[in-house]
Amino acid sequence: MDYDTQDFAAEARRFLDAHAERAPDRTAVTWGEGDDSMAYFSSLPPEQETEQVRRAREWQRVRHENGFGWITGPHEYGGRGLTPVHDLLYDAVESEYEVPDTGVLSVVGLGMIGPTILAHAQPHIKERWLPAMYRGDAVACQLFSEPGAGSDLASVATRAVRAGDDWVLNGQKVWTSVAQHSQIGLALTRTNPNAPKHKGITAFLVPMDAPGVEVRPLRQMTGGADFNEVFLTDVRVPDDHRLGEVDGGWTVALTTLMNERNTVGSEGAGPVAAALSPDHLSALMRATWTWDDRALRGRLAELLVDAMATGYLNARAQRTLRAGAAPGPERSVAKLMYGQNLTCAAHFVSECLGPRIIADTGQWGTYAWSELLLATPALRILGGTEEIMKNILAERVLGLPKEARA
Amino acid sequence: MSADESELRELRLSVREFMAAKSPEEAVRKLMESEPRFDPAVWAQAADQLRLPGLVIPEEYGGDGFGLVELGVVMEEMGRALLCAPFFATVVLAAQALLASGDSEACARHLPGIAAGRTTATLAVAEEGGSWDPALISARAVPDGNGGWRLSGRKSFVIDGTTADLILVIARTVAGPSLFAVDRTAGGVAAEALETLDATRAMARLTFDSVPATPVGPDGLGGRIMARVLDIASVGLAAEQAGGARTCLEMSADHARTRQQFGRPIGSFQAVKHKCADMLVQVELAEASAREAARLAAADAPDFPVAAAVAHACCSRAYMFATMENIQVHGGIGFTWEHPAHLYFRRAKSSQLLFGGPAIYHERLLDRLGI
Ligand SMILES: Cc1cc2nc3c(=O)[nH]c(=O)nc-3n(C[C@H](O)[C@H](O)[C@H](O)COP(=O)(O)OP(=O)(O)OC[C@H]3O[C@@H](n4cnc5c(N)ncnc54)[C@H](O)[C@@H]3O)c2cc1C
Repeated sequence: MDYDTQDFAAEARRFLDAHAERAPDRTAVTWGEGDDSMAYFSSLPPEQETEQVRRAREWQRVRHENGFGWITGPHEYGGRGLTPVHDLLYDAVESEYEVPDTGVLSVVGLGMIGPTILAHAQPHIKERWLPAMYRGDAVACQLFSEPGAGSDLASVATRAVRAGDDWVLNGQKVWTSVAQHSQIGLALTRTNPNAPKHKGITAFLVPMDAPGVEVRPLRQMTGGADFNEVFLTDVRVPDDHRLGEVDGGWTVALTTLMNERNTVGSEGAGPVAAALSPDHLSALMRATWTWDDRALRGRLAELLVDAMATGYLNARAQRTLRAGAAPGPERSVAKLMYGQNLTCAAHFVSECLGPRIIADTGQWGTYAWSELLLATPALRILGGTEEIMKNILAERVLGLPKEARA
Repeated sequence: MSADESELRELRLSVREFMAAKSPEEAVRKLMESEPRFDPAVWAQAADQLRLPGLVIPEEYGGDGFGLVELGVVMEEMGRALLCAPFFATVVLAAQALLASGDSEACARHLPGIAAGRTTATLAVAEEGGSWDPALISARAVPDGNGGWRLSGRKSFVIDGTTADLILVIARTVAGPSLFAVDRTAGGVAAEALETLDATRAMARLTFDSVPATPVGPDGLGGRIMARVLDIASVGLAAEQAGGARTCLEMSADHARTRQQFGRPIGSFQAVKHKCADMLVQVELAEASAREAARLAAADAPDFPVAAAVAHACCSRAYMFATMENIQVHGGIGFTWEHPAHLYFRRAKSSQLLFGGPAIYHERLLDRLGI
């Protein structure tokens, strides 16, 4: 559908004006004022977290009712049938408003699992789950990683065995984000142990309330528990919940992984924006009397150069997209840089703060940074580790020979 | 005027073909040991066939009136080929200084010759210390009593300083740093070629001994002109750096695909693979920042000066990194005089420090961000 982007942006603005407040600029900080949380992962007590998920779903429902729930989705499943450009545009407009954080729905479910279901599920499964997901009724998670299969994802060992019209799943998944809030999960299972490892995998959509699915919170180094272990014990899944062919699950996984790389690294609001904002960082230098420190100033400049250049790279990818062409390796590069930039920022800030980040004196905007600091290691791991991303860039973009693989 | 995507592609292609024909490695190697360090015949062809000298000169002065985006495309290609030519000094430094001065008389006098490729020019700013800080200018100009001016002092690191026909000089007057035009053949001008780390970029020390000079632009506005020229020149340079870095990356990837050790291509070793991926990351960031700055300049956007500083820093680092890793990936071969890797290394180091270096451009960025 050809819908003028300017009209679309205006429509989005009207919608948001009617349903949300304008957001304060988190990048322009007044020291000592406002929320100083730097939490990248949520670290809320359970009741508050449940409330946050409720608000996320509610906001997604409002979006959906007004035509902004699934901008690029096909009409038949409640989508708007517009282009990725409209999607980006909506995100940009929405970032000017104070709206509930919908990450619990969007990062994994809508960003990665939704497109996979759309590409590979049977029509009635799409009808069953896609509208529910994009309306905010269903949270989805990615049941890929296992204790023995992370980077080497194709070595998943969770078994799926055919039993009449059903399959029976047994195994253990790990590091599963948002599983504790999910209604469905996309699981990779081994259906043919004798085939080469990429060829014996099948993908299933697992209802998370099915008997035998057990989600156990897994505490992460931040202290919170955003991800989980998921135990599958004799879980029966109907054959029509299979995505793609039997033993053809690797193709399905690739769809998800491709979307994963596009999702990670595109976040722009919240603490992330503050950590890389010149105004915020300079206010911090003033407040910590490090303003004149030559070495720190040099590091700040390098940090900002990288952050801004990464921003230019993302902008370039978006312009390419808008012009109707496929972007190059920008998104993968941006994903790598995103982890590195936040890591550098967190360590830079910790040097400005000194001991104030190692013990909480109650001072505004100081110990709060420890939350971001402790989250940064994850950014070099999730969604494909830095090393794996570099392999991909070297092999797919530069055409270097594949490394020896078992 | 500005070109659309397909015109830019065409421009890139024709410049690339020209470089392949006129600036292959053998030509670069020959020129870097000759005087002048460029081939006047090639320079004339660049003017006649591609109209390169006039690319970014406004139409009213005989140019084609394009902007920094088009200049960036050309500089990237020149950077890839390490072209030895008076382009940077003439078009990016001198012509931009004339334009930044707002002196339409001076523009009308000098720019048509530059656009046509008849006049080469340069801009003399830095002195012994190499700084572009207006406060550190010590060359002086004084009125000669007959309505003219006389300029005295010493300038170093003057690109193409022994060959440029027209020399624009920043000198101090009572009103402050100001821009002057000096004819290279004028009495009292002495030019001495300097040995350079990057032999593909000729530099000279110029001595002015009471040389007749013509003011360009308002007296005392030299500081402002310098700032504007520095922004434009660093974006042009950034494009050249991005182009050079891209070539180093390609060289490395080619080598890593083909060079065998331990019975395997070295590119299958992850230590090498990751070096190449790291270079790719740097090159992508470099291109993005150089092109974004050029785009903002063309749009006359208020954040151009910030983007220019980002591009300068980002591309300087990316190019240096790419040239270092390129030599590493090539092993012993990369350390030989025969291999072109060192030519890029030399160019990268020279470019990184041309306008002062990291400490200086980092502070410039912070200053522009109000930090
Ligand atoms: C916060 C967080 C959220 C996550 N959410 C989910 C989720 O929702 N669903 C899900 O399925 N998974 C999730 N993951 C798991 C994530 O995808 C894996 O952790 C990741 O792919 C790496 O696998 P691994 O942890 O097994 O590490 P390993 O694969 O064991 O890697 C260990 C180290 O070895 C390196 N390494 C491994 N192979 C190579 C190689 N070929 N070349 C070079 N180095 C190599 C790695 O780069 C790493 O440094 C999450 C992880 C985190 C941290």
